[in-house]
Amino acid sequence: MPSGRWTDTMATAILMPRLGMTMEEGTVIQWPLATGGKVAKGEIVLIIESEKSEVEIEAPASGFFRHAYIDEGETVPCGELLGAITETPEEAFDCDGFRAEQQSQQDPGDSALEVKPRESAPASAEAPAASRKPVVPAARAAAKALGIDPQSVEGTGPRGRVTKEDVEAHAAAREALVQVAEGVRLEVRVAGQGEPVVLLPGLGVDISAFSQQSARFVDEYCVHAVNPRGVGLSDAPEAEAYELAQTAADAAASYTGAGHVVGASLGAAAALELAIAYPERVKTLTLITPFVEATARLLAVGEGWQRLAGETTSETLASALLPWFFSDGFLADPAARGRTLRGLTQSVARVPAATLARSLAGLARWSGSRKGDLAGISVPTLVIAAEEDLLTPSSAAMAEAIAGASLLTVPGAGHAVALEASEAVNAALASHFSRGEEAR
Amino acid sequence: MSRKLHTGGAINEAIAIAMRTDPDVILMGEDVAGGGDRSKDGTEEMGGVLGTTRGLVGEFGMNRVRDTPIAEMGLIGTAVGAAATGLRPIAELMFMDFLGTSLDPLLNQASKLRYMFGGKVKVPLTVRTVCGAGMQAAAQHSQSLYWMTTGIPGLKTVIPSSPAEAKGLLLASIRDDDPVIFCEAKGILNMVEEVPEGDYEIPLGQARVVRDGSDISLVAFGSTLKIALAAAEALENAGTSAEVVDLRTLSPLDEGAILSSLEKTGRMVIIDESTPRCSVARDVAALCVDRGFDSLQAPVKCVTAPHTPVPFSRVLEQAFLPSAQDVLDAVGEMD
Amino acid sequence: MDFSGTELREVYRKLRTIRSFEEKLQELVGAGKIGGFMHLYAGEEAVAVGVCEHLSREDLLGSTHRGHGHCIAKGVDVKAMMAELFGRSTGTNRGKGGSMHIADVDTGMLGANGIVGGGIPLVTGAALTAQVKGSDHVAVGFFGDGATNQGQFHESLTMASNWKLPAVYVCENNGFGEFTPTEFVVPVKDIVERAGSYGMRSAIADGMDFFDVYEKAGEAIDLARRGEGPTLLECKTYRFYGHYVGDQTPYRNKEEAEDWIQNRDPLDLFETRVSEAGILAPDDFRTVDGEVATYLAEVVQAAEEAPQPDIAEVLTDVYVNYKGGSPDVA
Repeated sequence: MPSGRWTDTMATAILMPRLGMTMEEGTVIQWPLATGGKVAKGEIVLIIESEKSEVEIEAPASGFFRHAYIDEGETVPCGELLGAITETPEEAFDCDGFRAEQQSQQDPGDSALEVKPRESAPASAEAPAASRKPVVPAARAAAKALGIDPQSVEGTGPRGRVTKEDVEAHAAAREALVQVAEGVRLEVRVAGQGEPVVLLPGLGVDISAFSQQSARFVDEYCVHAVNPRGVGLSDAPEAEAYELAQTAADAAASYTGAGHVVGASLGAAAALELAIAYPERVKTLTLITPFVEATARLLAVGEGWQRLAGETTSETLASALLPWFFSDGFLADPAARGRTLRGLTQSVARVPAATLARSLAGLARWSGSRKGDLAGISVPTLVIAAEEDLLTPSSAAMAEAIAGASLLTVPGAGHAVALEASEAVNAALASHFSRGEEAR
Repeated sequence: MSRKLHTGGAINEAIAIAMRTDPDVILMGEDVAGGGDRSKDGTEEMGGVLGTTRGLVGEFGMNRVRDTPIAEMGLIGTAVGAAATGLRPIAELMFMDFLGTSLDPLLNQASKLRYMFGGKVKVPLTVRTVCGAGMQAAAQHSQSLYWMTTGIPGLKTVIPSSPAEAKGLLLASIRDDDPVIFCEAKGILNMVEEVPEGDYEIPLGQARVVRDGSDISLVAFGSTLKIALAAAEALENAGTSAEVVDLRTLSPLDEGAILSSLEKTGRMVIIDESTPRCSVARDVAALCVDRGFDSLQAPVKCVTAPHTPVPFSRVLEQAFLPSAQDVLDAVGEMD
Repeated sequence: MDFSGTELREVYRKLRTIRSFEEKLQELVGAGKIGGFMHLYAGEEAVAVGVCEHLSREDLLGSTHRGHGHCIAKGVDVKAMMAELFGRSTGTNRGKGGSMHIADVDTGMLGANGIVGGGIPLVTGAALTAQVKGSDHVAVGFFGDGATNQGQFHESLTMASNWKLPAVYVCENNGFGEFTPTEFVVPVKDIVERAGSYGMRSAIADGMDFFDVYEKAGEAIDLARRGEGPTLLECKTYRFYGHYVGDQTPYRNKEEAEDWIQNRDPLDLFETRVSEAGILAPDDFRTVDGEVATYLAEVVQAAEEAPQPDIAEVLTDVYVNYKGGSPDVA
C-alpha cells in the first residue's frame, strides 16, 4: 500500500522528507524519470540534497510518475509537495486540484490569528502616558462602575495615586453639581452666607486660583467659585470652542440674584460678558488682569501650553507656566515658588488638554470683539492690573475705557496677582464690594 | 483527644496510621530504618537523620520499611516504579536540595506517566522532604525548592505550617492517587502544639484563613506562617487589621481563597521563604494582578529571601530569611 | 528444539510483525504522515521476542525510546500502537504519548521511555512491588548499551541486587549510543563486566539468535521468579536503521553494516534454523509474511481513518484529581 495519502484521484504525493531532526528544507537535485513514465514502489524517483549530502528518494507507491511540482534546483521546506504518482496512466490527472487538496490539509498558520476587540477602550486612552495619573486598579474598577473617567479624579494616595476612596468622593461631589444648561452641570463650590461673590478663574486653571479670595470673603458673603465647562468635575460637552458668552451664561445660571462678579484674565473676559449681557445680575464687577485683545505673546504662551498639556506631566507643565504668571521677585523666593508650583500643578491637572484647546479657541474668537462695548459698561467696575504682567500688559488701559471704573495697579506683581499679592487684591475687593452696596 | 507533639512526632504518627490502614503503603529512603544493628528488633534504630521515622521498622518490618543506598535517583525512581505497579510508597528525600540528584524520576516519569499513557496509570507516590533554612545547614542543605516542583504539571506540592497540619496533610498526601511532594520546612520542625489523636485528613487544595482581617491580606505557607502571624499582631496594635491565609498546598493552589481574601482587603503581601525569581510568591502575585486586578488598592508585595544561596553564619542566615519586620516594611511601602 | 511448529510459526509472526511494522513506519515518516521522533527496532527483533516468550501478561516490562518491538513482543495491540503513532484517540495512549512513550499497562508494558536509562528504576520499582506483595511476577527492563553509563542504571542495579528483587535487566548492545560507537564511551569490553560490581549474576546472548536469547533469558527469568534475585543479560545485536528515522548513518562502517544486515538478519537466521530442522517449510514463512502484510495494511488504514483526539484532551489525565486547583487543568 502506498504511503502517501490516497485521494479521490488515487494519487500519491511525493513530499520533501524530513531526514533529520534539524532538517528544515531540501533542494530538488534531479527527477530521473520522465513525466508519465512507469515507476515501481521503491524505485528511485527523486534525488534531493539536504545538509550537504545527496539522498535518493524511493517511490512511495507503484504507478505512473505524473507531475513534478518543484523544478530541479529549487529549495523548499520539509513536507512540501514535490510530485505525484498515479495508479493508472489513462486518467486525466488534475495536478492543481491535487495540490489544493494537499494544501487544504495543512496548518493555516498565522494567517488565521484573530485579534479580539477590547470590550471598551479606557476613557483616558487618548491621554499620553506621561501625563496620565496613577490610578489603583480598585479605583479603576470603581470608576468604570460609576461611569467616571478616573483621570478626572483628584488623587490623594501616595505619589498622587487615585484611590478607590477618591473615586467615591468624586462621585459624591458630582452629585452636588449645579445644572446650568440642558445636560450641562458645573462644579460650583458654594460656601458662606450673604450676597453672592462669583469667582471666575482664568485660562487653564481651576477655582483654586481664587483660594485666597474664597477664604477671605466666605465669612461675609456667599462665595460661588465656578469651574467652567471641562474644568474639574464640570461637564465637558463636545464643542469646537468654549465661547465666552456661553461661559458667562453658565456663570449667571450658577447663582441667584445680583452678585459681586470677579474674573481673572480669561475669567475677566467672561465677567465682562456677564456684565454686558446681564447687567441686573451684577452688583459690582472686578476685572483682574483683564484684556480686550490678546497679545501675540499671550496667544503664543497659550499655544505652547496646549502642546505641553498633551505631552507632559502636570508638574512639568506647571513649572513651565510659573515664570509667565509670577513676578521676578516672587520667583526669587524658593519656598514661595515651591509651594506655588505644587498648587499650580494640582490646578492645571484639573484641566484636560481638550478643555484647554476649546478654551483657547473661545479666547481667539472673542479677542478684540468687545473693544467698542467697554464704554457701555454701567455697573461699578474695579480693574486690577499687575506691574510686571507679561501676558495682559494693557489691563490698566481698560480702566480708562470703562466709565467710572477704578484702577488698582499692584506694584512688582505678575499676572497671577490674586495669588501673588492676595492681601492687596483682597483689600481692594473688600472696599469695592462695599462701594457697590453704597451705590445701590 | 489530643496531646502536644512536635512536627516530627506528628509525621511519624501519620506514617504509622497510613501503614496500619493500608498494606500497600511502604516507607523507603536513606536511613529511614537506620538500624545498624538489626538484632535490636527495631527499637534502637535511628529512624532517619532527624529521627522522624524512628520506631516504624519495629512495627512494620523490613519488607515495608527499607533503607536504600545513598542514591537518590535510584531511590526515587524505584519508588515511582513501585507506585505505578500497585504500591503506595512514601519515599524520603532527606533534604530537598537532593532534588538535584533525584530529579529525572520526578520531572520526566512520576509527573508524566499518567498523561503520557492517556490516563491508564496512576502514581500514588509521596516524597517527603525537608526544606528550608534555619539550622545553619548552609547552601546545599537549606534550599526551599518547592517552586520547582510546583512548576511541574503532574506533581502536587504540599507544605504544612504546624504539627497538627502536618499530620492531616501527610495522611491526605499518602492516600492521594497522584504523586505528592510533601515539604517539611525546617522552620516548623521544632514547633510543638496540640495534635489530634487518631486518623484525620486535611484535604489537598484547600487553604485556611488562620486569622480574619479586613485591611490587608498576608498569604503564607510552611515556615512563613508564624512570620505572617507575628506581623499581623504588630499591625493590629497599630490599627491595621490583617487577614492571614495559610496556603497549605502549592499545587493544587486554592486560587479562590487567595482571591476572596484580596477582594475583602484590597491589599496583598505574600511571604515565601524561597528565593524570589519564578517563586510561589510571584506566582500568587501574578494571580492577584491577573484575576484580582479590580480588587487591588495597592501594589502586590512579595516578601522572600534574596536571590542568593543560603549562607552558613547564624547572622547571615537570619538576614537571609524573611522576617516579620520585612513584612511590616513591605506593608509600609504599599501606601 | 522444544517448540512445536505452531509455536514457531507464532514466534516468526511476531518477528515479522515487528520488522514490517518498522519498515512501514520508515515510509510513513518519510512521507510526512507521522510526526515526532521515531526510533526503529528492526534488526533487534530476536531480543524482544526471545525474552518476552517467557513472560505472562502480568509480568512487567520497561522499555526504551526504541520500544515498538518490546510492545509487540509483549502483546500490545498493534492497531492501537499504529493509531498512537498517528496521534489518534484510539491509540494505546489516546494520542498523548507517541512513539517514545507508547505504553499499555494492561499487558504489563510500562512504557517506552524518552529518557535514556529512565525505564530502569521504574522496572526496579515494579520488581519491588512484586517482592513486597509476595507475587511471583518478574519485571524485565530493556535498555541500550548507552544507558549503562547512566547513574540510574548503577543506582537501580545496586538496589535490586541488595534486595534480591525479581528483575531481569536486558541490555541490547547494538554497538552505538546514538551515533557514537560503544567502545568510544564504555570502558569495558562487555557490558556484563559491570554486573560484578553489583554482585549480580550475568550472561551474554547472541541477540540476533532467537534461540540463544530465549535460552539465556529463560534461565534469568526463572531465577528471578524463584526469588533468587536479578540478572544482567547482555544481548549483542545491531540496529538496521539509524538512530532515528532520517539518520543517514554516515558514522557507520558500510561493510560492517552490510555484514550484519545481509548475513545476520535475525529473521533469516530463524528461518534457516527452523527450516533446516524440518519443522516449517519456506512456504509456511511466506504465508506468514503475506498475512502480516495484509494485517499491517489494515492497521495503517484503520489508524489513518481513526478520529483525532478531542482538543479538550489537552487538559485531561494530568492528575487523578486536582480539586481546589487551577481551572488550567481538568
